[in-house]
Parts: sequence; structure tokens; C-alpha cells
Amino acid sequence: MHEPVDANADLLTPPVLSIGGVTKRFGPLTVLDRCSLDVAEGEIVTLLGPSGCGKTTLLRCIAGFWAPDAGTITIDGADTVRVPVNRRPVGVVFQSYALFPHLTVAKNVAYGLRMRGMAKADIAARVARALETVALSDFAGRYPAQLSGGQQQRVAIARVLVLEPRVLLLDEPFNALDAKLRGAMQVDLRQLIKRLGITAIFVTHDQEEALTMSDRIAVMRAGRIEQLAPPEEIFDHPATAYVADFIGSSNFWQSHAEGGRVNLPDGQSAPSHRAGDVTIMVRPHNLAIRPGEDGPLKGAVGFQRNIGALVEYHVATDGGGTVRVMAMRQERGRSIADGTRVTLSILDPNLCAVYEPQ
Amino acid sequence: MTPRRQLADTLAIGAILAVAVVALILLVAPSIVVVIISFDTRAYVSFPPVGFTLDWYAKVFEETALVEAMLNSLQVGITVTGLCILLGVPTALVCVRGRFPGTTALSVFVLVPHMVPGIVLGVAVLFAGALVGVGPSIYLQSLSIAVFVLAVMVRTVMSRLQRLDPALEEASANLGASPFQTLATVTFPLLLPAILAGAVFTFVEGFDNLSVAIFTHGFRDRPLPVELLALVQTTNTPLVAAVSGVQIVLAIVALVIVAATIGLDRVNE
Repeated sequence: MHEPVDANADLLTPPVLSIGGVTKRFGPLTVLDRCSLDVAEGEIVTLLGPSGCGKTTLLRCIAGFWAPDAGTITIDGADTVRVPVNRRPVGVVFQSYALFPHLTVAKNVAYGLRMRGMAKADIAARVARALETVALSDFAGRYPAQLSGGQQQRVAIARVLVLEPRVLLLDEPFNALDAKLRGAMQVDLRQLIKRLGITAIFVTHDQEEALTMSDRIAVMRAGRIEQLAPPEEIFDHPATAYVADFIGSSNFWQSHAEGGRVNLPDGQSAPSHRAGDVTIMVRPHNLAIRPGEDGPLKGAVGFQRNIGALVEYHVATDGGGTVRVMAMRQERGRSIADGTRVTLSILDPNLCAVYEPQ
Repeated sequence: MTPRRQLADTLAIGAILAVAVVALILLVAPSIVVVIISFDTRAYVSFPPVGFTLDWYAKVFEETALVEAMLNSLQVGITVTGLCILLGVPTALVCVRGRFPGTTALSVFVLVPHMVPGIVLGVAVLFAGALVGVGPSIYLQSLSIAVFVLAVMVRTVMSRLQRLDPALEEASANLGASPFQTLATVTFPLLLPAILAGAVFTFVEGFDNLSVAIFTHGFRDRPLPVELLALVQTTNTPLVAAVSGVQIVLAIVALVIVAATIGLDRVNE
């Protein structure tokens, strides 16, 4: 078992949102296990993990839809666990967007202000500004059913932004969009949140989305935060084999470490902070592939596919198992055909990660 | 597909169509026969008619007993509908959204009065009313029919509620609405089509019910079905057919209004 990840990644300012040891059980099932996380002003933190890892549960605890069984959730230093859901300075963008189908776009955006009893003229002005922010001024009189998925998402965002929440919670907001739209919407949404300086928690199971959207990523597993770090660090230095497996594509080997070095499958060695049996991880782009059998790591190409300028080879190694190799695509005629005997070697041994044996 | 399979396929589809047409004829034919009879010049019910007159329709509105019975039934229909909305919508909300044991039992229990034969329920209400000193009246009749058809309203609203995205109510709370504000501004407006669909059924039952009403109606406020029953038992004139004709016209008018205002599709939901 790992110790819970340390929540504080050297924040310079006091955190806007601070989650301390939050635990949530449903009957015998522990869905959240001592989760801790501090989020700084204007920061976007992503909760990333497969379904059932507890990311949505944590989001719902922050929003107040569910009460944690233990732990604290503070916003600007004030405990919010006992604050009712409709009094929290938190805005939620739902996976389904949850736009009110019987209200126009303008009335959807005005809803929260109306509930706060704001004067009609002030509401109109703020709704107009919010719709301008998300470039939907021309759609104020439409009903949600008359909008595209992307436009609906922007209404959902405007509807919470107009209330100026301290924390914005986004629950898989791109799920309902088709793949083509997603990429552009991710960039747009990140830029919007950054421009407005909003503190945001973003939930997704999609690693690409997480890498695009986040200042920091919290990779979750079975109710715990396994690693909390900026995207590059998560990708380049995954703290555990689980994180390495979840983010990007990875190859694993069992090996043995001694005297601060670990043996690599291609005959080289790399520095190791562990001793004894270990698991080593090598990224597909850290492997070189060449025809012929002149090294210890040999196999046959079983499958290959083009990914733009790159080719991914699946090599069935003689030791058993399949190794993924990512290489630049060669010009026609010089590519390696399926079935070819090849030798693999690790490009930079220092980029291999060493974990406890799996 | 082989030609033989294709033939069998065509025949099967044709058979289904034929059954649908037969069903449609069975649905419409009695009403058409009644309407035709209502124009007959003879003073007794017989088919086919031998002449054409509107006298029977004029007579319907000359008979004060019939007009009063119609107005009584109208009042009962409206009262039953109001009671069913008042009692049924909160019951449906509790059954679907309630977070305590017994909600499933409650949602089944509301069906019981509807499953008991109307005559049994009518007698039961009459005896129970007598026990607490409430005799038969237009109010007891309205209440007893409301109990009889409450299940329709509860079930219609429940099924809509179950299909409502729970995130809508969560979004409302997240945007600052209190539970009651959420109910008034989000849940209730979204339930309105279901409530209207339920109201159509409860109104028709209130207007038309005989089995319960025959025991619980006030003897000075006879509802239309009871009046009609007395009429066919004592006379054999096309007057009864003319009353039915009036009701058919009213039903068509009601359907047209529903279609024009909320749309038949939304009632079907």
C-alpha cells in the first residue's frame, strides 16, 4: 500500500480549495480513501482515472451533493462540509450539461441570479455579459434543444460563470461531444478559464484531455490519489507503474537491480534507486527498431499502424510478450514489413523508470 | 431472402395491418352508429334510420334533468381532476424521490383502489361515509372517484419523474435554489405535460364513471351516467343517442384543444 500522496505541491499562495483526508463509503465499499488535495488560485487540477476510481465522487463531495464520511473540504479557509449545496461558492458543469429544457438560453443563464433575488435590470446586464463571454449573444432566445452540443456546453459554462463561483467543477464536459469537436473545445475551454482566472477541478478518464487542460493532474486509483503533478512530470516521470500504464503507452519488463544499477532487456543498464526484483518501464518512443538479429532483444513485427508521421510497431519478442515501438515513418519501400525479424534497443537508458515488482 | 420467405413476410405484415384496421373499426363503429341513430325521426331506437331530424338534440337541452346532470358531471370531472393533481403529484414525488423505506410499497398501494371493482369501492365508500356521518353527495361522489383514479395520475407523473435527468435538480440546487424553489421552477414545469395527460384521464373518469358514482352520488345531484341509465331503463327514444352525440362532440373539441395547445405527442410521453 502507498501512503496518501502529499497534497501540497509548494503552493505560493494559500489554496482556494483545500481537501484534507476526505473519505466516502457506500455500504461496505470505500469509494474515496483519505484524499487530500490543495488547489491554488486560478489553477486547473484534473482528477484522472478509470471509471470507479472515485473521481466523480470527490467532485460530488466538493459540490455538496454527497457528504464525506470523514475529512475536510475548505474554500478560502472556510469549512464547507456543513454548508448546504445551494450555498456553496461552487459552480458545476454537468456531464449532461443539465440545461433546463423549458427555459431559453438567457433564462438558463439568469437562473442562479434569479434565485439570489437580484434586480431584473442587473440580471439582464450580467446575463448579456456572460453570453458575450461564451460568444452566444445571438442565441439568447433559443431553447437548449435548438443548440448544438458545443453550444449547449457553453451555455452550461455561462450559467455557472455568471455567479462568479470560487471553484468551477467540470464533470467530463466533453463526453457528449463528437471526437472532432473535442480537441478544439478543450483548447477553447482552457483558454477561457485561464483568461477569467478561475480555479477549476476537471474530471475525466481521457488522458489526452487531462494533458491538454491541466496545470496539475491527480491520477486516481481505487479511491486514492496515486500521483499529483504537472502533466509533463506525470508523463515523463510516472510515480508508479499504474500511472505509467494509464498515461501514454508503456512497455514493462521484470528485472533485477544491484549496486544502484538495473539490467535492461537490450543488454544496457540504467541507474536504479531500488534493489532486488523490480519492474522497469520503457516508453514506445524510447525504443529503436532495426531489421536483423544483432542484439539480445529480438522479435518479429506482428502488426503495425500509421499514426500521422509516426508508425507504431507491435513486436512479438522471443522472450514472450508484445513490445510497442514508436518510430518515425520511413519513406515508401524502406519500411519494415510485418513478419520481419528485428532487434530493439533502448535509446536513452536514463529515461527508463524503475518500480517495485508487479 | 428467398421468394417463399418474402411471401411469408408480406403476409405477416399484411395480417398485422388487417388486425389494426379491425381494431380501428371496433373503436369507431359504435360511436358512428350512435350518431346516426340520434338523427332518426322515429321515436324508438332502431337501425338503419328512416329520416333526418335535429329534434332529439333540441330535446336534450330542453330536458332540465339532463342539462343538470351534464353540469353535475362536469363539476365532478373538474373536482376529481383537481383532487388527483393535489393528491397525486406529491405522492408521485415521494414515491420517486423519497429516500426512506416504504416508497416502493406506497407506489404499489396507490394502485389498489383502481384494481378493486368500482362497485365494491362505491359500496365501501358509502358505508365508510355513513360511519363518520357523511352521506352520499356530489362531494362524496367526487372524492370516491378521485380515490378510484388517483393511480392513473400518480403513475403518469411517476414515469415522467423517473425519466427526468437527476442532474437537472442538482444543477438547480448548485445554482442556489432551495429545495422548494427547485420544485417550483424546475421539477413542476417539467412534470406539467405528464400532469395534463393524467388530467385528461381523470376528468373523463370523473365525468363518465357509473360504477362508483351509482352508490356515492347525491340523490338530488344525479350525474349524467346515472341519469342516462335511468333513461334507457324507462324509455327507448333516440334521446340517449343524442346525449351521446353531444358527448362525442365535446370529446373531439377537447382533443382538438389539447392538440393545439400542448400537442398530442406530449400527452403521449
